[in-house]
Amino acid sequence: MPTQTVLFVGLFVLMGGLFHIIPGLTRPDLFFAVTVAPEFRTSPDAQRILRRYRAMVWMTTLVASWLVVAAGSAVGAVLLEAMGFLGALVSTHRAALAYAAAPGSIVEVDLAMPQERLPGGPIIAVLPVLLLGSLGLWVGFHWDRLPPRFPVHFGLHGANRWVTTTPATVFSFLALQALICLLLAGLAWGIVNWTRRISTTGASATTERHFRRRMAQLVIVSEYFLACPAWIALFHPASAAVNVWGLALATVIVAFTVSLMRGGQGGSRAAVIAGTAPVGDRTPDACWKWGLCYVNPADPSILIEKRFGVGYTLNFGNRWTWLVLALLLVPVAAGLILLR
Amino acid sequence: MVLRIDLKSPVPVYRQIVDAVRILLVNGELNPGDSLPPVRRLALDLGVHFNTVAEAYRTLEEEGWLEIGRRSGARVVSRAVSNHCDPETSEAFQRRLREMAAEVQARGFPRDRIARELRRLADNLERS
Repeated sequence: MPTQTVLFVGLFVLMGGLFHIIPGLTRPDLFFAVTVAPEFRTSPDAQRILRRYRAMVWMTTLVASWLVVAAGSAVGAVLLEAMGFLGALVSTHRAALAYAAAPGSIVEVDLAMPQERLPGGPIIAVLPVLLLGSLGLWVGFHWDRLPPRFPVHFGLHGANRWVTTTPATVFSFLALQALICLLLAGLAWGIVNWTRRISTTGASATTERHFRRRMAQLVIVSEYFLACPAWIALFHPASAAVNVWGLALATVIVAFTVSLMRGGQGGSRAAVIAGTAPVGDRTPDACWKWGLCYVNPADPSILIEKRFGVGYTLNFGNRWTWLVLALLLVPVAAGLILLR
Repeated sequence: MVLRIDLKSPVPVYRQIVDAVRILLVNGELNPGDSLPPVRRLALDLGVHFNTVAEAYRTLEEEGWLEIGRRSGARVVSRAVSNHCDPETSEAFQRRLREMAAEVQARGFPRDRIARELRRLADNLERS
């Protein structure tokens, strides 16, 4: 069996495993993006819904794997897997809606809660941007030291797309990296300062704070990893450094993912308090389209905790979200066109 | 120092914030020099619009409890209150008490319990 086929099958099984465990990582009073009573998860109805969802996930994985092995259609298999998982999610979300519970209407906020800060401070978050800026400055004065071509894309076997060294390609490459790092710094800041604190008192508030901190750390570490390829591409394009970088990046991402999954969404995975009114994530069920997209113009938040999976998503009902997306997409598209 | 809001209450959220913060101020849980969370932070945590919190802070500023700076945010200030109470305030206070007592009585609260609660409140006020 070709290596690529084995890799695809491995990837499908890995994704199937991930989708298998994700429902157990959400807040205890959320079940497939629906607010439920905290004890509902252990009820026979919830177990039946969960079994049906997992059967759909593994059936999809099986068919996708067969498609890539027998028919050799990798693109078709990937599409099938994506559509199958989406279908499983949407249909299970609909089934769970029948067991929706009204969340408690009382909201408590601790006024004495200290303001949270970026891990390491703002300098650590913007340092990769400054480093890329200084690299651009240095390159401007030492143009003769650059290779005639440099890589702009890396795959499993090293660099796989090269461009000719010109001022336009070099500076758009550096500007694009710097912009992405800047946006990540903004994201880290947003996670710490612009996300809703669901629990503001007690042990659950502490675990939630740790979760936000871990998420922000992950984003900041990713920034440093993103800034590295610029140095490798411009100074050591044919070296093995890129493999070391790729391995280190994968290790860090896996370590953070495992750590975040152990805690669960908002660090609240273990916090089941039976008999209490569900709190959920303080967003209305009706604003979750398919249980995946949050659209609520009345909510001032831009970043919202995902209801399926661990991490954050955007409030597409907030006009600032669209502005942020435009700020992100326009320069990225321009940079990619320049580096074609 | 917990601010508790009922999002389903018929009382507007901004009014609930004003009332809850005022109770903390009167009880001495918030003292001059203490800072309140920024408008954006509190609005995000409560899940309400920024203007709702800003309106509540403005009302408390007008009452003399807060000082709102562009950079420093909302800070509690010392507030000089004269012991003299004008007849209008006194009349309004008595009217509100009567209205509230009638409202909870209409909801089934026994008269003796209302009296007990008022007595407890009076005792607390005298002790403080």
